[in-house]
Amino acid sequence: MSFETDISRIEEIAQKLNASDTSLEESIALFEEGMRLAKALEKALAEAKRSVEIVLGEDPREAEITPL
Amino acid sequence: MDNLLQTELSVSELTGLIKQTLEQGFYGLKVSGEISNFRPSSTGHWFFTLKDASCSISAVMFKGSTWKVDFAPQEGDKVIVTGGLDVYGARGTYQLKCDSMEKAGFGQILAMLEMRKRQYAALGYFDEKNKKPIPKRPLRVGVVTSPTGAALQDILNILQRRAPSVDVLVLPATVQGESAAPSIANRIQQANNLLLCDVLIVGRGGGSIEDLLPFSEECVIKAIHESQIPIVSAVGHEIDWALSDFVADLRAPTPSAAAELVSQGYLDSRNQVGNLRTQLLKSMESRLALAESKLKRFDTKAMGMRIKNIINTKEYLLANATNNIVTAQNQLLKSYSGRAELAIRELQALSPLAILARGYAVVQNQEGRLVASKEQAVPGSLLTLTFTDGCRKTLVKE
Repeated sequence: MSFETDISRIEEIAQKLNASDTSLEESIALFEEGMRLAKALEKALAEAKRSVEIVLGEDPREAEITPL
Repeated sequence: MDNLLQTELSVSELTGLIKQTLEQGFYGLKVSGEISNFRPSSTGHWFFTLKDASCSISAVMFKGSTWKVDFAPQEGDKVIVTGGLDVYGARGTYQLKCDSMEKAGFGQILAMLEMRKRQYAALGYFDEKNKKPIPKRPLRVGVVTSPTGAALQDILNILQRRAPSVDVLVLPATVQGESAAPSIANRIQQANNLLLCDVLIVGRGGGSIEDLLPFSEECVIKAIHESQIPIVSAVGHEIDWALSDFVADLRAPTPSAAAELVSQGYLDSRNQVGNLRTQLLKSMESRLALAESKLKRFDTKAMGMRIKNIINTKEYLLANATNNIVTAQNQLLKSYSGRAELAIRELQALSPLAILARGYAVVQNQEGRLVASKEQAVPGSLLTLTFTDGCRKTLVKE
C-alpha cells in the first residue's frame, strides 16, 4: 500500500459521494471503503511502533547498531 | 572653576562637580577587561567588577541593556563593554555603566567565520540548486549529536509525540572542543556510506560562539556538502548560527525545531486524513438526508390512504357490475317465463284432455285399440271409455 494512492482513492471517493449520479447503494459501499482506508492510514501515522537505536563503532565503513 | 580654590564647597557641591566632570568627560567608552565578582540582582541588573592585571573598576549593567547580551557572563570571562562613567554621590563612588557587552575575541571569530562563509559561498556550497528536498515522511531519522545532551532528548520527545511510528538512529558525536568537528564529519560520512537513514539532523544545544565553532569547521562543511542524505542543521538557539546552517539542505533554528520540521509531513498527513474523513462523513450524511426526504413522500399513512381509495373504487365497480348482472338475469327470466306461459296455454288448447272435458270420451277395445266406427264396436264386445276424470267399461248391446 502506498500512502499517496490511498489518499487519492479517498479523495476520489469523497468526490463520487458528492456526485448526484451515484446511487445510494453505491454511496454506502464507497463510504465504507473510504472510512476503512482513512482509519488504516490514521493508524499507520499515529501508531507508536518506533525503534530508537544508537551506532556504536566509529568506523565510517561499518556500524554496530544497538537499541538505545 | 577659576575661583574654585577660594570657594568653600559643601560635600554635595564637590560631588556634583565631580559627577559633572566624570560623566561629561567619560562617555562612549570601549573598555576590555575580565569579569569578576559577578552579581546579578533579582531585579535583572548586573553588578560586577571589571579588572585587568593591575587595576579594577566597579561596573553595572542595567536590565534595559542586559537582555541584549547573548551569553551569560561567567567569572573570568574576557569581555569588551561599551558605556560611560557614572558617579553614585551617596557613597562617593564611581562605576562603569555598561550599555553593551561582548566576549573578547568575538570580533575575530566573527571575521574568520565571515571570510570562510564567503569562501564556500564562492565555491557554490550554499547554492539553492544543491539543496535536496527533505522527505515528507521519513521512515528513519538519523541524529548526529551528543548522546548525553538535552538536544537529543528534545528531538526524541518531539518525534515521539508528532510521529510515533518513525525510527530514530542516534549517531553519537562529540560536539564541543578540538575533536568535535572530525567526530561530526565522521558520523555524517558513516551515515552516508551505509545509508543508515532517510534524513539526518546534525546539531547541538545552545552555547557560546566558541562552543558552536565545530559546526563551522571545514571538514563538517565538506561532509554536509557531500552527503547524499538530506541534512537539517540545528545548532544552538534561534539567534545562534554556524556555517553548517548555510551548507545544509535546511536550517532549523533549534534541535527541537529540526525534529518538528522532519515530522511535519506526518502531522500534515494526519490532518489531511482527518479532514478527508470528516468530508466523507458529511457527504454521506447529506446523501442519506436526501434519500430520507425522498422516502418521506411515501410515508405509510399516505400510502394507506391511497390504497384504500383504490380499493374503494374497485369495490364500487364490482358492486355495480354485480347489480347489472342480476338485473339482466331477471329480465332474461321474465322474458322466458312469458314465453313459457304462452306455450303452455297453446299446449293446453291442443290437449285431448281438453276435448274430453267438453263431454267427449275415448273408446278403446279390449286390445287397447281406438274404436272410431260402429263396425269396430261389435255388439256383445267390451269397450273402455276414457273420460276426462277416469275410465269406465261398457258392453255393446246393439
